[in-house]
Amino acid sequence: MSKLWKVFKYEYTRHVFRKRFIFAVLSIPLFFGVLMAISILATVIQADTRPLGYVDQSGVLANQRPISGEGSLINRSVELIPYPGEAEARAALEDETIQGYYLLPPDYLETAHGKLVSFKEPDQRMQNQFNEILRVNLLAGQSPDVAKRVLEGSSLVIQTPDGKRQMAEDDWFNALIPIFAGVLFMTVVFTSGGYLMQAVVEEKENRTMEIIVTSVSADELMAGKVLGNLSVGLTQLLIWVIFIILAMAIGRNYVDWIDRIHFSWDYLILMLGALLPTFVMIAGLMAAVGATVTESREAQQISGIFSLPVMIPYWFTYPIMSNPSGPLAVGLSFFPLTSPVTLTLRAAFTPIPAWQLALNIAVLVVCAIGSIWLAARAFRLGMLSYGKKITLRELFGRVS
Amino acid sequence: MPTVEIDQITKTFGSQRAVDQVSFEVEKGEIFGLLGPNGAGKTTTIRILLDIFKPDSGRVSVLGGPMSEEKKDRIGYLPEERGLYQDITLDRCLTYLASLKGMSTQEASRRINLYLERFGLAEHRHKKLKEMSKGMQQKAQLIATLVHEPVLVIIDEPFNALDPVNTQMVKDLLREQRERGVTIVMCTHQMHQVEELCDRLVLIDRGKSVLYGSLEEIRHRFAVQDVLVRTEDHLPALAGVLRSEPHNGSTRLYLAPGTQPQDVLRGLVESNIQVDQFEIATPSLDEIFIKVVQQGEGAKA
Repeated sequence: MSKLWKVFKYEYTRHVFRKRFIFAVLSIPLFFGVLMAISILATVIQADTRPLGYVDQSGVLANQRPISGEGSLINRSVELIPYPGEAEARAALEDETIQGYYLLPPDYLETAHGKLVSFKEPDQRMQNQFNEILRVNLLAGQSPDVAKRVLEGSSLVIQTPDGKRQMAEDDWFNALIPIFAGVLFMTVVFTSGGYLMQAVVEEKENRTMEIIVTSVSADELMAGKVLGNLSVGLTQLLIWVIFIILAMAIGRNYVDWIDRIHFSWDYLILMLGALLPTFVMIAGLMAAVGATVTESREAQQISGIFSLPVMIPYWFTYPIMSNPSGPLAVGLSFFPLTSPVTLTLRAAFTPIPAWQLALNIAVLVVCAIGSIWLAARAFRLGMLSYGKKITLRELFGRVS
Repeated sequence: MPTVEIDQITKTFGSQRAVDQVSFEVEKGEIFGLLGPNGAGKTTTIRILLDIFKPDSGRVSVLGGPMSEEKKDRIGYLPEERGLYQDITLDRCLTYLASLKGMSTQEASRRINLYLERFGLAEHRHKKLKEMSKGMQQKAQLIATLVHEPVLVIIDEPFNALDPVNTQMVKDLLREQRERGVTIVMCTHQMHQVEELCDRLVLIDRGKSVLYGSLEEIRHRFAVQDVLVRTEDHLPALAGVLRSEPHNGSTRLYLAPGTQPQDVLRGLVESNIQVDQFEIATPSLDEIFIKVVQQGEGAKA
């Protein structure tokens, strides 16, 4: 086994089998799991399940047609009780057997005015339930096809001319995916970059560097460290992706929009094209910081300088979304640190011209190579200067 | 062929010349002392030898040629800046460092066991380094230096942080390595250790080599015409003796130029003095060291 792989194995296992890592990886899905469980629990506990009453003076609901579906744990339906007159319904409301009642006056079909009487407004879902029943019964005379179309309402799909990308009006969750994926990826990039920085600065802090460089070549050492710590990040990403897939598989039984989530291959390829060089670029910058400073605490403070510009596009999410080909969006995608997040945001809303995309990715690749060069240089200059920082002049000046 | 050949190496950091035209050779199977006051350029010389730094000029040959990755596996190095991974167990740390020297895990583990037993660290093998005392860490570092059976060992201040018992153990270990044919370069400023262990030495001061040769040769070169006499009797004035002063329970007699120690001995016998001890006062390495360094400072002033 070459020494590069020995370094890789050491760097990888020392993080992955640590309690701290396992906790960090599991805490995010656990956090979301608990959050989801609490919100479901809160909805279930808080929901008023008493029946709703109705007084139908218009005769619309005389031959009531039921709506399809039983409702789920979250979308529970309540019983609907008909009352012959408003006085009875009012009495039931006052002795709290029902949470409210609908009154459909005799001229309902002409005016379309009904009213809901209750002390506290019933849950929106329960109102929807009554509305749907009402609509189904109003459409009772129509042919099933027409009734179905009216009930479903309009759904406009916006599509690019090549048909590769499309967005429907009610697809809000597909717009959130790039934002979510970007945050996830950046978290992983910074976590593994942080591990790498720590690994480099640690060897200076604990003075192991001299023994290591007289055993392994600097190139093998750096390559082993970069690969090892990036793999830690990828492991983290993989575990989260598995959790997301599991959550989606379980969640689709309860929430219907999960089935409508779609990933486009073009988008995934773009993400990889932009994010892989970003991964290397951030890792290189982190390693350079690690080799330049003398304490890990100091390194963490300096690394904040990189994470800030990377997150800047999220502050401009709205302008970028509303004008994904505007000067702000295009400008941010050319600056290497803001480029990855901007690209993923823009690509979700508009096709990016091929020349721009090629240029953006080329800038990222050049920056990635540059940051590795910088890291190697900082490493050579800084590895043995214990307790002494390297100045920027030394870093960019002539190698002694 | 010498194990190490250093030929006229020079290294400058900024405006400071850390090493200036230093040359020496280390023969196979000897303990070679690399001496000098703090900041003299010893560590820089070692780092150039190990290819951590490139010299500005000059040539270095290690194990018969320039340093290579393959040769790194045959060299053991104990740096002055001690350090091991603090957050992992002793066992894991040593196994990793041994594996970086090209050892298989099984072989590394077998040899680490032997050394841990010998150094009394076997029961601490599952402890993290940061939970161990400085002396224990120092011993662990020595194990890391020797576990892969190097043919060339370079150790910088090996006796730092060691108590007398462990100092003796390390000395025995170094002698044992020499008997096995291992070449050892020992960097130190503790002169009595050098006197005890080293065969040959080089003294570096302000980046320059100021003294180089075998211990005996150097002592001889700096031998003075003084004698040490121990007696219960009162010493009379003797011909050829300039002055005398007490010296560790004896009396040190400073001889006039041209006077031989035999002349003084004869004078003592003739004066009927009962002599318990009569010895030519060879200078200690400490004295030679101070003398050479002070001469250098004088020359500079």
